[in-house]
Amino acid sequence: MNEKILKQLEGYETVKADMETAEKYGADFNSEKGKVLEYIHRLHPATMRLKVSRIIQETPSAKTFRLVSQDGYLPPFQAGQYISIIFDISEIRTSRPFSISSSPTQTGYYDITVRRVENGLVSNYLLDTVKNGDTFESSGPCGTFVFNPIIHDSTMVCIAGGSGITPFMSMIREITDCGLDRTVYLFYGNRELKDIIFHEELTRISNDFLNIFYIPVIENVSKDFTGACGLITSQLLNDTLKKHSNKSFFLCGPQGMYDFCLPQLDHLGIPKRKIRQEVYGPSVDIFDYPGWPKEIKKKDTFKISVKGRSAIKAAAGDSLLSSLEKNKILVPSICRSGGCSMCRVKVLSGKVFQPAGVPVRASDKQFGYVHSCMSFPVEDLEILV
Amino acid sequence: MKHYDIIVIGAGNGGLTAAATLVNKGKNVLLLERHNIPGGCATSFCRGRFEFEVALHQLSGMGTPAKPGPLRSTLQRLGVLDQLEPIPMEDLFRLIIPGQIDMTLKPDRADIIRTLQKRFPDEKTSIETFFDLTYNFFTQVISVMYLNDPEATPDKYPLYFKYALKSAKEVLDSLFQDPLLKTLLSPYWTYIGLPPSKMAFTELAAMFFAFIEFLPFHLKGGSQTLSNAIADKIIERGGDIRFNCGVKKIIVQDNQVKGVITDTDEVIYTNWIVSNASKVATYIDLIGSEHIPQSVVKELKKSTLTQSAFTVYLGLECKPEAIGMTAATNFLFPHTDMEAVYERMKHREITDQDALVLSCYNLADQSFSPPGTCQVAIVTLKYGDTWLTVPPSQYAAEKYRVADAMIRVAEKAFPNIKNYIEEIEIATPLTHLRYLNHPKGSVYGFEHFIKNSELFIPNISHIKGLYGAGGSYGLCGFQPTLDSGVLTASKLLKDMGA
Repeated sequence: MNEKILKQLEGYETVKADMETAEKYGADFNSEKGKVLEYIHRLHPATMRLKVSRIIQETPSAKTFRLVSQDGYLPPFQAGQYISIIFDISEIRTSRPFSISSSPTQTGYYDITVRRVENGLVSNYLLDTVKNGDTFESSGPCGTFVFNPIIHDSTMVCIAGGSGITPFMSMIREITDCGLDRTVYLFYGNRELKDIIFHEELTRISNDFLNIFYIPVIENVSKDFTGACGLITSQLLNDTLKKHSNKSFFLCGPQGMYDFCLPQLDHLGIPKRKIRQEVYGPSVDIFDYPGWPKEIKKKDTFKISVKGRSAIKAAAGDSLLSSLEKNKILVPSICRSGGCSMCRVKVLSGKVFQPAGVPVRASDKQFGYVHSCMSFPVEDLEILV
Repeated sequence: MKHYDIIVIGAGNGGLTAAATLVNKGKNVLLLERHNIPGGCATSFCRGRFEFEVALHQLSGMGTPAKPGPLRSTLQRLGVLDQLEPIPMEDLFRLIIPGQIDMTLKPDRADIIRTLQKRFPDEKTSIETFFDLTYNFFTQVISVMYLNDPEATPDKYPLYFKYALKSAKEVLDSLFQDPLLKTLLSPYWTYIGLPPSKMAFTELAAMFFAFIEFLPFHLKGGSQTLSNAIADKIIERGGDIRFNCGVKKIIVQDNQVKGVITDTDEVIYTNWIVSNASKVATYIDLIGSEHIPQSVVKELKKSTLTQSAFTVYLGLECKPEAIGMTAATNFLFPHTDMEAVYERMKHREITDQDALVLSCYNLADQSFSPPGTCQVAIVTLKYGDTWLTVPPSQYAAEKYRVADAMIRVAEKAFPNIKNYIEEIEIATPLTHLRYLNHPKGSVYGFEHFIKNSELFIPNISHIKGLYGAGGSYGLCGFQPTLDSGVLTASKLLKDMGA
């Protein structure tokens, strides 16, 4: 607006004086240079450079990798959170999430504990190839599978399956390290006795601490094991816990465990808001997933055109994310279980199959944004990355 | 060598509408966004079976198809209106001061006047006068400021010349006695972050005018729907969008922009840039001190950052009525002393002396969360500095502690919230800093003192080819930032000679 009009406004002189004072004494914001990134980096670094400092053989099929920072700073994390580590294996750059199994009170390192997965590209690479001194790039700690003092009861019922023990290990270690006023009932399911990771430490902790109850559950009955056998049933939960009110339930394990245990909790009348489950990777063979178009077979391939770049070929049954990775088109990814939304891409044309339960937002459904880790092409696609 | 007519940095509200406007004029446009979706603040996120709206409280300026508001027309021109389902909110707001008042106002001028007159019979005439003044004044604001009448004189627009630089408090004090009544007429100060004593009467008048004339709206699917719809239109009309692509430098030579360097070190050339990054990020981080013109340094020195926010998003396993929630927009104030409330924003702690705004969109749109559930966002403004000093190792614990305190305050008006929480997410000023890339997590740009208004700091180009859009280049809020993209793009086109 022109000066002539401004000057006629009632109170103009006062505002003008205000402005002159501010101009004289105000800050030019140069001190803010780089500050935003600096603050973010303290809590949520986009990437971290880690180095393996120790490898611990936990069971015949599982190892713990102790990771230290290459640049001296590890951000704090909440027990239950994970990091996503980037791997370059056979010229493919990919990532995998690992819950941190060490206690958050250990500020010098993060432990991740890995169990062999049949045909698991990354788990086999870690267990067979990685050695002390190897370096990795990873995300900062993230994830929402944590104890939230606002809503969670101080008695936690933790149900773990196989390597799903890792977030609980971090929680239990924190509770015992800090003497937190929390009670844990840990039901830990495994196929065989020899598969139990952290069995000795958990046994010792439960002997030493009155607030930690450890209930290993073995599927294949053996005579050297005197504990609970079979699966984690409502009966077993009921017999151990007696009362279910004032308890929060946490589940971490393979899809099969959720499929079995969630109905058990429902049977006990546990309300939804008392149950928290960690996302845990693509569940089953997508070809067996309910709703998968039967006419699409393993040998089928689809053409995926990436806008502004080349077209690639994708094998049916491969997630969009891994097809892109195999063709060296990098999309950020963290949880790879559909939950974190880091790997979102926009489908401009064509169809993908998305398993149920992936939290995709209403407007994303309307406009074709998908979580590429949990989207499986069923037609030729055009996408925007 | 990659070259575009225009590069837009950032797909927030302002960046989106700027890019859409430019694409509509046939320009070759590249929109760069560091996140994997468009929207900036205008977004949402999922936890469990809930999808939480991040930023949109009440969309202003929309109007109905029968009586369209300016925003409806803008969205129509951008070609996105048919993709949206705007839902008018039944209430303007509910204001609660425990023990003193609990009143819900409808977005209807006559109804508001009746309701207030019934409660404050002694100030009957002044209530009428206030709304006459607000409307008549704002009509003059439209003529002088928006329609740019070159013949503006005090004789022609007496109200404008008298009130343009007055604070809201000056006007309220001149008309009313009862502090409760003054508070009822100014809770919207929390939408810009300055208490009535420091907020321009123009802003208060604008909000009343916009919300009453064109109703407050919610968008089905949340604000992300709007962001996605605009982005789609840009793509459909031939614009390029690159997600996951941040900018780390704007190349400037001899006070003329030449291009950008992306986070992955790609150089893309252009002579025209619209920056939807904050003014501080644009000049201090992307351009760098050696190229900042003196006129910008002067502007920055006049400016201070607004508050950030502390927000608790709750997914509740109950219907709104179970906790006594009856309106979509609720102001929970401790008392009528808004100066004291403003002071509280400089402290990290949340106590019963803080002002909270609670939004429950289920009351505008029943399908907003799964059947039998509802969601509530509780927000209060806090200066970012209050959180920058928290040691990282204590950050999580502090976040829970303050959120818990906030919920307890909310429970004074909405009992037993805690019994129903299924999902909870907490956003602190540091969260806003991380996602918005704004210094100190500021959510409303620069403080909107009268001296910082567009009258004195217009949104002009200081470096040849560089334009700004979004909350730090003028007013904050959805309607203003959406507008700012359109306006700045029009200026750019004019300067381009297009």
